[in-house]
Amino acid sequence: MNIFKKYILVFTFLLFTLNLFLLMGSANTVNYPLTIIDDTGTAVTIPQEPQRIISTAPSNTEILFDLGLQEKIVGITNYCNFPEETKNIEKIGEISPLNFEKIVSLNPDLILAYAGFQLKEIPRLRELGLNTIVLEPLTLEDTFKSVEMIANVCGISDKDSLLIDNLTQRVNIIKSKVSKIPISARPKIFVGSTFETIFTPGAGTLFNELITLAGGQNIAADLSFWKKISPEFVAQAEPDIIIVPVGAMNQEEESKIKSNISQRSGWSNIPAIKNQKIFIVNEDLFYRAVPRLVDGLELLYGIFYE
Amino acid sequence: MNKPLTEIAGYTNWRKKLILMLLVGSLSILGVSLICLNFGVVAINPKDIISLLLNGTQDKTKNLIIWQLRAPRIALGVITGAALSTVGGAFQGILRNPLADPYILGVSAGAALGACIGIALQHVTGYLFASYLPLFAFIGAMLSLYLVYQSSKITYSANSTGLLLAGVAITFLFSALITILLAISRKELQSMVFWLMGDLSAANWEKISIITLPAIIGCLLLFFSSLDLNALSLGEEEALHLGINTGKLRIRIFLIGSIIIASVVSFTGLIGFVGLVIPHIARLLVGPDHRIMLPASAFLGGIFLILCDVLARTVIAPTEIPIGAITAIVGAPLFIYLLRRKNK
Amino acid sequence: MADNNNILTLKGVHFSYNDNREILSDINFYLPKGELLGIIGPNGSGKTTLLNIISGILKPKKGEISLLNQNLNKLPIEQIAKFISVVPQDTWVTFNFKAKEVVFMGRLPYISRLKGETLGDYQISREAMKKTHSLSLSENNIQEISGGERQRVFMAKALAQTPQLLLLDEFTSHLDLNYKYEMLNLLKKALKEEGLTIISVFHDLNLASIASHRLLLLNEGKIEKIGAPQEVLTKEIIQKAYGVKPILINHPSLKVPQVIM
Repeated sequence: MNIFKKYILVFTFLLFTLNLFLLMGSANTVNYPLTIIDDTGTAVTIPQEPQRIISTAPSNTEILFDLGLQEKIVGITNYCNFPEETKNIEKIGEISPLNFEKIVSLNPDLILAYAGFQLKEIPRLRELGLNTIVLEPLTLEDTFKSVEMIANVCGISDKDSLLIDNLTQRVNIIKSKVSKIPISARPKIFVGSTFETIFTPGAGTLFNELITLAGGQNIAADLSFWKKISPEFVAQAEPDIIIVPVGAMNQEEESKIKSNISQRSGWSNIPAIKNQKIFIVNEDLFYRAVPRLVDGLELLYGIFYE
Repeated sequence: MNKPLTEIAGYTNWRKKLILMLLVGSLSILGVSLICLNFGVVAINPKDIISLLLNGTQDKTKNLIIWQLRAPRIALGVITGAALSTVGGAFQGILRNPLADPYILGVSAGAALGACIGIALQHVTGYLFASYLPLFAFIGAMLSLYLVYQSSKITYSANSTGLLLAGVAITFLFSALITILLAISRKELQSMVFWLMGDLSAANWEKISIITLPAIIGCLLLFFSSLDLNALSLGEEEALHLGINTGKLRIRIFLIGSIIIASVVSFTGLIGFVGLVIPHIARLLVGPDHRIMLPASAFLGGIFLILCDVLARTVIAPTEIPIGAITAIVGAPLFIYLLRRKNK
Repeated sequence: MADNNNILTLKGVHFSYNDNREILSDINFYLPKGELLGIIGPNGSGKTTLLNIISGILKPKKGEISLLNQNLNKLPIEQIAKFISVVPQDTWVTFNFKAKEVVFMGRLPYISRLKGETLGDYQISREAMKKTHSLSLSENNIQEISGGERQRVFMAKALAQTPQLLLLDEFTSHLDLNYKYEMLNLLKKALKEEGLTIISVFHDLNLASIASHRLLLLNEGKIEKIGAPQEVLTKEIIQKAYGVKPILINHPSLKVPQVIM
């Protein structure tokens, strides 16, 4: 072979090796630009791997941390309080109305939003040219799907499958345990509150789903979403266990809550009160569509059966 | 005898007064708007703003903030403030009641109910429902307008008392319906409450293009009724004796004013106090002649609202205070001060 | 009698508010040009209502009113305002206009809303204030002057409206003695010099007697008597209408009856 051809060969070989090297170097199997359909049915195109992510909902923030993406977060809301490290991340303010100026100034390349009462802010975000993905997880399965979607979009789809498998396994353990318990033995559950006015979760809420999965019978299971109910309804339903979800609280306040509920007029005959089965739980484990829901599920099972 | 006049027979030429005020007003609005452009969550150098306005800039973020966020917000504030103040002044004139505000005839309650129903139905309209909200609000406003008009015909044949009573009754009725809606909508409660408190932050150029024409044409039509409004302040009978068809005038002002309010409020929510206080300030500054007072109210209202908006978005940034709260906090003491001055 | 010399003719006029009791019954009279007609009568007899019927803001249930040989109630009120102007009993002005601005409003029936007022409008307003001796009040706020001063301003406004028929509703009630007679003289002057015709409701019988060419005594909505003061102010008629027995004397210089308490 002449010198020229040799050079071509070596050059092509090097080029090939380089390409191979580059391909392997990207740990993800995801190719950008990437188009996905979010929970509003909109097709969103992400041009390249997001490096500056803003989360406009506490659930999305938690999931980002669970997936190890916290380094890429540049802005979160005032309510994103878990885990501890969220203290050090810049705040963009309220969940609704959104402070667009603050959001734009942080120069994000991806916004992870939430439906619910944030829904009306979404068109404006898209108008401003920001890549916005809207999540609307309503069930436990939706939550897992959200984790998958976020992982996909951020290019780490392998990491999330480990996480999801782990979570699914834990859920299945509970499921199988519960399937062995006859319906008559499953306790009646009432989700109370610290307020005089009673708002309780019914069908379609995450809380209700977890109660049912954990082997409980929610006395409000026939109502849909969150409903205001009367104390009579509770008295009539005679729940075996009362769960009270609260924010951060200390021992003294917890015992106060229990005594307030126990002494509520007309409730003295309720089994949960007679047997002092009132349990205070961390509300974040039940309101947010995040992997911690499984912690909540296990907590409930423990309360119901152990 | 139709020559332009100077000061003659002790009367100042109102045309001159008007032109002067238009000039001062326009320059003030422009000046204050430019100043307000400097305020926001993000600190942007005034020099940068000016160069951006003149030349455009490479910095995409700054461009976005100034042109797509702050400028439309200020423009909406000017239009809203001007519309609310003009209609407030006209309603005070037509009802011969200095305590009247643009919401007194019930249109705002209708808009509020419409918006709240729109929010409650977001499951039906899908995620783009935010763009349908103004439509819901406007339809609600037109409904209450119709009801008030019909009610007043039954009672006092459309004189001031009849209109006032009908407006108050419809407002109570719709407020009750809104309360019920708030009570049964736990999820959408927050959105509804925020809409009710008024908000300029959702402004964009498309919305402004929809509002501007009705607002400007409506206000101009109101200006044309100035002489009649002047006469009406002498009394209902006095105005009739001067050849003014008070019944028709009332309907005209009421309809035009309500349509202006419906158009604006459908996009901004209920911003209070502006329509009540600004006409009084205008009267203090330029006198009660509606030919000067109404345009003055428009300018003052625009300036007042955009200044309040600056406070709303900077005091506890990045959280925004609802603008209706700011106008009340600033407006109420101002109003009391004005009353005290008047009675001295 | 419909006559070319009559500014106003009322024929068979009846009025009630809601088909309830009749406020005015069978009113018939004519008003020749240049006359000052005084309307008197006890409270509740319908004097102000009659004035409102004549000015066109109330419509009679039955009967016809002719203004310069045209049916008053068929005329648009903008037209009526060019012929008739009214000085009210008293009125509260909602906003604090200056006195001169209030007088200027009298020109409204003539001002095109599009083009605005002319030099002439300002001059007429100023002249009217001069005639009623209210020029010094020009710059004062209407809400801050006394009742009597306000009356003069409203009189000026009515004159600025350049009417042919001027209606007054107990306009002297707030005036000091000197102003009472000054206004009376002014009216007489206006009658003569400007060819005005005047109808004035009087509370004060003596003033009515001095000022008017003819008196119309209204009692319970009906015309008790219409004619010269001597014909109307008689013991019997006054007793019938007012229920008191008056002492009547003749005014020393004017030779018209005066009632003494």
